Amino acid sequence: MSEHRTLAAPAPWVQLIVTDDDWDAAEPGLLLTMFSQLALIRAFEENVLELAGAGLINGPAHSSIGQEGGAVGSVLALTDADTVNGSHRGHHQFLAKALHHVTPDGIDPAQPYPEAVKALLLRSLAEICGLDRGFSHGRGGSMHLQWREAGAIGTNAIVGGGVPLAAGSAWAHRQAGSDAVAVTYFGDGAANIGSTLETLNLAAAWKLPLCFFIENNMYAVSTTVSEATGEPRLSARGPGFGIPSWRVDGMNPLAVHLAMGEALAHMRAGRGPAVIEAEVYRYFHQNGPLPGSAFRYRTREEELQWRERDPLLMIGAQLVRRKLLDSEQIDTASQRAGQLMSEIDDVLLEASPGASDKRRIKAAEWPDPKFADVGIRGDLGEFAGAPLADRDSFAGSLEPVKFIDSVAAVMARRMETDDRIVVMGEDVHRLNGGTNGATRGLKDRFPTRVLGTPISENGFCGLAGGVALDGRFRPVVELMYADFMWVAADQLFNQIGKARHMFGGGDSVPLVLRSKVALGTGYGSQHSMDPAGVFATSPGWRIAAPSTPFDYVGLMNSALRCQDPVVVLEHVDLYASTGEGPADDLDYCIPVGKAAVRRHGAALTVISYLAMTNMELAALEHLPEVDAEVIDLRWLDRASIDWETIGESVRKTNNVLIAEQGARGTSYGGWLADEIQRRYFDWLDQPIGRVTGGEASPSISRVLERAAIAGTDEAAAVMSAMVSGNHG
Amino acid sequence: MADVLRLPAAVAGQAEAVLTTWLVPEGGVLAPRDVIATVETAKASFDVEAESAGVLLRQLVREGDEVTAGTPLAVTGAPGETAEDAAAVLGGPVPVPSRIFASPIARRLAREMDLELAAITGTGPNGRIRRRDVETAAEQRAARPAPAPAATAAPAAEPPAPAAETAAPAAEPSSAVASAAAVRDVPHSRLRRAIAARLTESKQTTPHFYLRGTADAERLWRLKERLNTSGPVKITLNDLVIKAVAHAHTRVPEVNVIWTADAIRHFADVDLSVAIATGEGLVTPVIRSADRLSVSTIAAFVRDQSERARTGRLRQQDLEGGVATVTNLGMYGTEEFGAIINPPQSAILAVGAVRQQPVAHEGKVRVRRVMTVTLSVDHRPIDGVTAARWMRAFTALLEDPEQILA
Repeated sequence: MSEHRTLAAPAPWVQLIVTDDDWDAAEPGLLLTMFSQLALIRAFEENVLELAGAGLINGPAHSSIGQEGGAVGSVLALTDADTVNGSHRGHHQFLAKALHHVTPDGIDPAQPYPEAVKALLLRSLAEICGLDRGFSHGRGGSMHLQWREAGAIGTNAIVGGGVPLAAGSAWAHRQAGSDAVAVTYFGDGAANIGSTLETLNLAAAWKLPLCFFIENNMYAVSTTVSEATGEPRLSARGPGFGIPSWRVDGMNPLAVHLAMGEALAHMRAGRGPAVIEAEVYRYFHQNGPLPGSAFRYRTREEELQWRERDPLLMIGAQLVRRKLLDSEQIDTASQRAGQLMSEIDDVLLEASPGASDKRRIKAAEWPDPKFADVGIRGDLGEFAGAPLADRDSFAGSLEPVKFIDSVAAVMARRMETDDRIVVMGEDVHRLNGGTNGATRGLKDRFPTRVLGTPISENGFCGLAGGVALDGRFRPVVELMYADFMWVAADQLFNQIGKARHMFGGGDSVPLVLRSKVALGTGYGSQHSMDPAGVFATSPGWRIAAPSTPFDYVGLMNSALRCQDPVVVLEHVDLYASTGEGPADDLDYCIPVGKAAVRRHGAALTVISYLAMTNMELAALEHLPEVDAEVIDLRWLDRASIDWETIGESVRKTNNVLIAEQGARGTSYGGWLADEIQRRYFDWLDQPIGRVTGGEASPSISRVLERAAIAGTDEAAAVMSAMVSGNHG
Repeated sequence: MADVLRLPAAVAGQAEAVLTTWLVPEGGVLAPRDVIATVETAKASFDVEAESAGVLLRQLVREGDEVTAGTPLAVTGAPGETAEDAAAVLGGPVPVPSRIFASPIARRLAREMDLELAAITGTGPNGRIRRRDVETAAEQRAARPAPAPAATAAPAAEPPAPAAETAAPAAEPSSAVASAAAVRDVPHSRLRRAIAARLTESKQTTPHFYLRGTADAERLWRLKERLNTSGPVKITLNDLVIKAVAHAHTRVPEVNVIWTADAIRHFADVDLSVAIATGEGLVTPVIRSADRLSVSTIAAFVRDQSERARTGRLRQQDLEGGVATVTNLGMYGTEEFGAIINPPQSAILAVGAVRQQPVAHEGKVRVRRVMTVTLSVDHRPIDGVTAARWMRAFTALLEDPEQILA
């Protein structure tokens, strides 16, 4: 018979229950402000539902009515330096933080609401209605509410998507030496998704001052929490990760406030993250003005029971009990909040002509349709005064340099001159510079700025995204294999790539992703992709693709200066190569959007990048009959393509070949071929040629792998055919 | 009954000809002796007339197609007959005109060079016409036994025959909006087409750069006066300029070259073209070995060639070759101008009028005769410094003109 010893997680897990003593001890100002915030948020949310019912809100309006107690109770424990983000149901979290910012001394419900409150609610409603005066000019709407000055760093429409970003904010607080914390609000649905679980682990491992605030409203749309998980008390997750956790009645703002106070003490002391689970209830269905019972997944009786525990009623009763307000004052304050919302509606809306009972958005409130594509990336103003140089204008001396050495050298140089740079990724801190030596020597010199991550690409890419959006630091993330971008896809494409544009175009996202391209290393189907095509067709990213040590240094310096997310593609074949590189100057930037002509020719324009450029050049050594011009793109994204160089070449040769190594499906050249044929149709003498790999991902077997990838032979065959006129 | 209209032998003889213009569209009504089309040979342009009243059912050749005596040009029919009747005559269903496959750049170049795609054989996949095919066609046209100059020289090529000057057909949209009196379309002569294609090609494919030089022409002027008081042949300033160009080419032999696809071709002799205006356009006969000819021989040759050009007796071999051209508008008072290189030559010298103007000379202002010339140079075989050295040698010769005679 085996012996069994009971184990216990070292992190505490408690339920906090408010007593009458707690109510008596609460500061009057705190209770009055809680009431004012609750009344304002309730009036705001009722107004939103009304506008949604009238068809004046495009898309969903996820009501937070019933859940306000958790947000208000927790936010009022925060300072202006603390940051919060939230979920698709985030109006109440956003408004609580923003109200706290504009009224740092609280809001007296016996007085008319201050102008700053009205201005905030107007701007918030305008954003939800998709109007120009909104925080993001109407781009973000209901699910993307952001006001950085208030510490509201952006709500998120992807379930769990905002959690890693909040970890980035928390990391930046700690790295900056502040005791500020980040709070990420999410629901019971998000408690089961990878982003959240990865971040729980990462935040605990790195002891980040991050509060995971779970609003457990018991329903993910119509799926109950006990259907979705084996432990419906979601705060139970915390101790499993070593995180102290609190469970609390979210309908009771004071209970939440006290729990948050305890969690803050833990976090501000540098002891790592906290979990707070607040049990709340949304009175309405997922979206819109109907109750959940109308959709038959719960009963009216259940809804009524929860409504009886409404946080407004609860605080109102306590205010009366403590003689801080009388019931008439309470009614007046609520009416005044409703009146304020009517005034706000009048700013944005007008009567529809011919139907006096119907309203419409005033025409002048809409954003200009021309704004649709503005601000996907920055304006590169950060390059004013940059030490720009290219091969022909480089003043320093050149010498043969090993590619991989230039990778580590330029990063060391930048980390030496710029304290903001922080490097993270799997094993980057060990193995003498990671799996390829790309970060060699950095950990010894910059121990707090070289971070080995757990294997959780979505989590640490998102954390880096949060650091970049915070702005105080510049993260450099290494993806050990390009294919891992799919693992991190939500953070890379939904969050980091879209963030600037989605929040109005003004936010910088200075993040560098070093993505290795490991074509031909024998790692098989899931480690051998070229990600350029996927990044090029996703908005927001810039793509740098160096093929020589000289270019690596200059392009990495530009990537680190750039205020946009830049993926720097590093081909593993090139790491071991030796090429021309700078002897000592590691400070020059190669201008964004400048291609390099590697070989001049008159008969065929070959457009390529990374290792394929060198393969094209090698193929041409044996093809004296092919008078090809080879353009090494260096910058691959739509905004950074060097049309001047391409156009000049196409007009000269009238024949274009786009050459790359990777699989055809996600290949890079498709969009470029499309763009070239539209820009230069009259200059083309035959269809645009393509060299790519096959459809399948490369296999492990050496011969199958070679057959799946395009190289020198394939390039030579297509170039010959195009020049002899037998292609296409 | 539908009938096939062929090119009458009486019109074209045995010559190679081109149908230049259809004047009656398909479906157009014909009266006897209506002009249906114009056909141009190397020597003249002719009208093809309707033999009887009826309808033009189908055109069987395109504008620009080569035709010879007997070539079926069209199917005509009695009023009321249709394309099906034409098909009966042709012995089969009416073929759908096949689409011409040509690459975008080939279409663009053909349009610019005024070449008909239908007349070009495509060598690309599926017979697609590619850039090289258009260029081959252009070369063939240029190499054809001097169509352009011969046309100028032929007796028949006096100012265009009245028949060729027609008010634009009403079907032309561009003229439909203007009143018939306001515009008059003169169909291109073959010389005009040749000039247009050649110069267009030159400007598009030859990277030109330009050098301007001004020479004190006082002594040159006096030399010309002196030579003409004694010599048997009248010498013009242009003759002296031609000889000076030949000399300058000898002194700077890097300029005595042309660009070819694979090499820069250097010449031992200096063959120069001289531009001669005729009623219909420009011809450029070549003075062989101008560097070894005396000025009076050059003068006599130029006069002879001008006479031949005017009377249409220029021969094809007189027009081929040359490394550079001298073109002179000085006699019309033009002070200076830039000219387009005549391919495959590498330069053209545009000579302006000798004029008097105040010149600072040793601290004093004096009135001197000066001449301004502009050299257009093909940058592919010749760089700027080389051309500048040539210009220095050339102006030095003009200013010390006895050397020209040496």
